[in-house]
Amino acid sequence: MSTIEIEGKTIEVGGDGFLIEPDIWDKELARLIAKYDGIEELNEKHWAIINIIRDNYEKKGMAPMIRVICKETGLKLREIYQLFPLGPARGACRVAGLPKPDGCV
Amino acid sequence: MEKITKDKIECGLEVLKRLQDSKLISHLNSCVHCGLCADSCLYYLATGDERMIPAGKVDMVSAIYRRYCTITGKVFPALVGARELDDTNIREMVDLLYGACTMCGRCVKHCSIGVDIEYVIRTGREMLAKMGYVPESLQATVDAALTSGNNMAIPDEDFLDTIEWMEEELQDELNDPTATIPINQPGKNILYTLNPREPKFFPLSISAMAKIFYAAKESWTLSTGMYDVTNYAYFSSHPGHSRIIAQRMYDELQKMQAKKLVLAECGHGARANRWEGPNYIGREFPETVTSVELIAGYIKSGRIRPDRELNREVVTLHDPCNLVRSGGIVKEQRYILKNTVKNFVEMTPHGMDNFCCGGGGGQLAMSEYNDRRIKIAGIKAEQIKKTGAAIVATPCHNCVDQLSQINVTYRLNVQIKTMAEIVADSLIIEHP
Repeated sequence: MSTIEIEGKTIEVGGDGFLIEPDIWDKELARLIAKYDGIEELNEKHWAIINIIRDNYEKKGMAPMIRVICKETGLKLREIYQLFPLGPARGACRVAGLPKPDGCV
Repeated sequence: MEKITKDKIECGLEVLKRLQDSKLISHLNSCVHCGLCADSCLYYLATGDERMIPAGKVDMVSAIYRRYCTITGKVFPALVGARELDDTNIREMVDLLYGACTMCGRCVKHCSIGVDIEYVIRTGREMLAKMGYVPESLQATVDAALTSGNNMAIPDEDFLDTIEWMEEELQDELNDPTATIPINQPGKNILYTLNPREPKFFPLSISAMAKIFYAAKESWTLSTGMYDVTNYAYFSSHPGHSRIIAQRMYDELQKMQAKKLVLAECGHGARANRWEGPNYIGREFPETVTSVELIAGYIKSGRIRPDRELNREVVTLHDPCNLVRSGGIVKEQRYILKNTVKNFVEMTPHGMDNFCCGGGGGQLAMSEYNDRRIKIAGIKAEQIKKTGAAIVATPCHNCVDQLSQINVTYRLNVQIKTMAEIVADSLIIEHP
């Protein structure tokens, strides 16, 4: 286990920086994790992505396909990569408080 | 960590007692402790920690071999530096063999007497896997593949939806409503594969490859039955698991009656299917090539005609260890870049002596060792910075992910692309 420190707060995360307890996630934590990644402010588009990821996780227990994120938000693929420079997995899913997805991410 | 039991010890030792493995025995007993491997290893170079020296990792395994498989070791273990297979040593083995090795094989090339250090590490991992000590996060990825058929547990319906989406994107780009991404079509020339991270999160490489196939007028298909090019059991080194996954690919090829298996851009996937696959399942695979070789062949034969003017930014190349050092595929990716980009610059060192991205050997999946993985990647980050390139191309999705992460962490400000994306960007499709 390790921690990330931001704005004087300490967040407990797994070795890869994903939350160990996805249930403790809230919007404030999302803001802090994003800030830690260099995203100063989460805008409407960020939140649209985060909400869909979170919703999918709560319903299906896993991150949604990028297809679903694009379809539901109406955002272009490349826009999502720009909004979360670390990508949909290490960037967006992490900010949304999911555990690390399996595989090459 | 679960405590060691007598049964577990037996399972682990079975691996070392394989009498027919003369290669293992000679490589376990050949190290002359010259120390040359130290400076070849990312972990030692980045940390200066002597525990990280590859020879020490080999000794972890050979000390156990001496303890249980040699007479002197059995009677006077201290005399020959033999070690017990106990909880302390197992913890150390897990930490060093799984947690501090990307299986990049650079030490093997630098070894003064040619010890196949990577093979010994894999054997050590195999012992640990048989005893049930694979790091949890790595095992989760293997399990996902074993139970669902792909390492990200993507349901078929979601996969098909994504392929359809990419097909629409392709049709838009090509301005041709008949352009397709064929799926589940038997009797084609090529059965193409993917890394599951493509449909899940990064599908641009799927449409890029489809564009290349379109330009080459290739007969090809994907298959829902088995499209996952990865075999994470190669990293966990559990022989039973790696066999199941390799067999699936073999069976799918038979079922789809394709002439050729084409492996997506994936270093270990190339190795686990093309070079280890036949060993895993005990029979030869039908013709199996990597997409890099295939694309280089298209360019050479004039089946596709790239225009270098369409890729004007400075591009450098990262060589995936499994493809290059272990697989000997060195010239093809360079041939592709020289024909598709205007400004190609090499890293130093490159090719056979290239440094690993830091994400190999299953490291990318193993959360337990994340900090180390990012730290050792400082060497790759420096290499990239020195090239002055704006784009890093690499024929491996695993490397792409690691490089994308260090791009942010080390503020490299580059773009990371697969070879298919670079090639697709260089193609102008002329409609008759």
